[in-house]
Amino acid sequence: MHGKTTTIKLILGLQNITSGKVIINGYDIEKEFTHAIKRVGAIVENPDMYMYLSGYQNLKLVANLYKGITKERIDKVVKLVKLENRIHDKVSKYSLGMRQRLGIAQAILHEPNLLILDEPTNGLDPEGIKEMRELLVELATKEKMGVLISSHNLAELDNFCTKVCIIKNGEVIETSEIAKIKKAVGHEVRLFEVDDVNCAKKVLKEITILDDHRFKINLPKEEVPGIINKLAENQVKIYEVKQEEKSLEDAFFEKTGGNIIA
Amino acid sequence: MKRQGGISLRNLIKNELIKIFKKKTIYITMIVIFLLLIFMNCMFKYANNGSEYNYYLYNEDYIESLRNELKTLNPDKSSDVTTYINILSEIQLSEMMQQYKDAEWKLAIINERISPYITERNTYQYGAEKNETQVEEINKQIQSLTEKLDGNDWKYFAKEDLSQANQQIESLYQQKEKTEDTAQLKNIETELKTAETEKEIAEYRLNKNIPYGSDYLNRALSELQTANMNLTNYDSLDKELEYQEKLEYNRYLEAQAESRYVLDTGMDINKTDSLKGILQDFYAQFGIFLIVVIIMIAGTIVSEEFNKGTIKLLLVKPYTRNKILLSKFITVLIMIVFVIIVTLIMQILIGGILFGFDSLADPVVAYNFNTNTIQEMNIFANLGIQTLMQLPMIVLLATLAFAISTIFSNSTLAITISLLGYMSSSIINQLVIGYHLNFMKYFVTMNWDLSIYANGALPYMEGMNMNMSILICIVYFLIMIIPTFIIFKKRNIKNI
Repeated sequence: MHGKTTTIKLILGLQNITSGKVIINGYDIEKEFTHAIKRVGAIVENPDMYMYLSGYQNLKLVANLYKGITKERIDKVVKLVKLENRIHDKVSKYSLGMRQRLGIAQAILHEPNLLILDEPTNGLDPEGIKEMRELLVELATKEKMGVLISSHNLAELDNFCTKVCIIKNGEVIETSEIAKIKKAVGHEVRLFEVDDVNCAKKVLKEITILDDHRFKINLPKEEVPGIINKLAENQVKIYEVKQEEKSLEDAFFEKTGGNIIA
Repeated sequence: MKRQGGISLRNLIKNELIKIFKKKTIYITMIVIFLLLIFMNCMFKYANNGSEYNYYLYNEDYIESLRNELKTLNPDKSSDVTTYINILSEIQLSEMMQQYKDAEWKLAIINERISPYITERNTYQYGAEKNETQVEEINKQIQSLTEKLDGNDWKYFAKEDLSQANQQIESLYQQKEKTEDTAQLKNIETELKTAETEKEIAEYRLNKNIPYGSDYLNRALSELQTANMNLTNYDSLDKELEYQEKLEYNRYLEAQAESRYVLDTGMDINKTDSLKGILQDFYAQFGIFLIVVIIMIAGTIVSEEFNKGTIKLLLVKPYTRNKILLSKFITVLIMIVFVIIVTLIMQILIGGILFGFDSLADPVVAYNFNTNTIQEMNIFANLGIQTLMQLPMIVLLATLAFAISTIFSNSTLAITISLLGYMSSSIINQLVIGYHLNFMKYFVTMNWDLSIYANGALPYMEGMNMNMSILICIVYFLIMIIPTFIIFKKRNIKNI
């Protein structure tokens, strides 16, 4: 309950917007709902479906509500979400992962250009998460769909997102590409392993000593050779220099100072 | 643009129907109704077969227990004597019936004419005022009547009635000519009408060859008699009838005309053990089944989607919320038609198999209050009219369930309240009529059953009319449906 689902509901017109507006494909969701929502596919909270119907019948219901969804399109989507063997079974017999995939099939049947998913990997086992990730990447690259995901699992987002928007206490504090954020918060940090850190400290005042042999320093790429030279001239033995690996998670903590809503 | 709207609404409705018909619930309910129909039809078939007098004829155990009880009573004790006389009369009546059980008309004569004598005789024999000569006298009366029973001619009794009535009429006419006094004249007039009724009944019996008994023809005769007497009473009143009296007066007019129709044609118009007979009371007998199913559908169609979360699936499709809700409401209306038609077909099949389809050719007979004549109608036309007259109630109940289901997303509440509304409506109406609560004539339950206006009948209360009832139903409909649409449109879909 950090407002992720609420945000998605606001985007989809499921809740009333008190201030600001949502514009999808150039249409205001409140004023021109049917136009705005036309090319949007979504799963809110859990994938919703009629348990007493088969997967195929569920897809048929969706197909009936859009113009021009052919049988071929349904078959293609079924294949895409890898449900072709079980599609005529009742949904009540599906595993959670299969339901997630059927949910995606329902959402992408009408070839939306925006797919909105609310914690798509929630409750899935590691294998299911991997499959979901592959599916989403495929949709984004092959079907050219914009995929909007809400999640608090940052490692997951790190894996397949290109852009993130961080919301903290209801306010957007960052909207940018993941690579940029990482760079901005920590990717200038280099990790050195040397024989004697105290010796290095004498040469470079601004280092942070980690232990007897390791220190780190904030420094742009182009200055690295100069620093190495300087250390070598002062008889510091350098065993290893590497860029510090920072996860998106670390980056966010640095950005927000904890309490993340993403 | 408009055309497109129509198509999209049709798709939504199509989906709603798919959802209903892919669920087991509807089939299970219809099967249950099918079984109930079979059960009730069987009851109609096997009930009411025996004579009214079987109670005396085949209840040996009961008679035996009466005999045993009689032994314990002492007619000389004042506390026992009334019971003693009653039980003794009962036993003697039963014994006599046993003796004459070869013909129904004999039983009827014993029950109607001899039975009072038996009680009277026993009263004189054992009661407080004992009177031997009276006992003798009555025994003679009983004797002469029993001889007529042995004579095997029921017409004797009818002829006797007729000649008595004729004598009475003749003497009354003579009295009438002599009298000048208006009050006296009025009395004579009333008596004359009573005698004429007796004559009419006796003539019907003889002309139509109706032996005494308890069948529908005898029922018609006794109804005709009651109606004639009551109408005579009302006619002799020198005042404008009050509304309640007018209602009663109309009921007797109806009974009079219908009884005469039955006697003239020999057709049992209220026969319950025939297909036509069951169909002509279709909604009175089976209306509850239809309404339960319809309320169930209307009470779940929205709330179930809310409870299971599937409503979000619908709401993120390119349709306005009004259209989504409208499609659901239209689906409910379609289901009303569907349920009515299916139940009717089931009833026609079951009834036809049990009773035969022949009776479908018989007309439905009803008294028309506008023309004051009997009116015959084809059973299918009658079913159509019955349905139209019940439709406001069915649609309003469905709308109530639909509204509660949408506003509170609670199926149980929707179904319970609507069913309570239906079941309490007849009690409410009775109370309103009984206590003359005139302001309640605008209340929905008083107006939603248009069959009260059938054939120009007077409605429950003065000042009601069919157009106003329809208008009231429309107002109630709008009061329920408009907030439902507004709330559904404004509603936030909460997190589950």
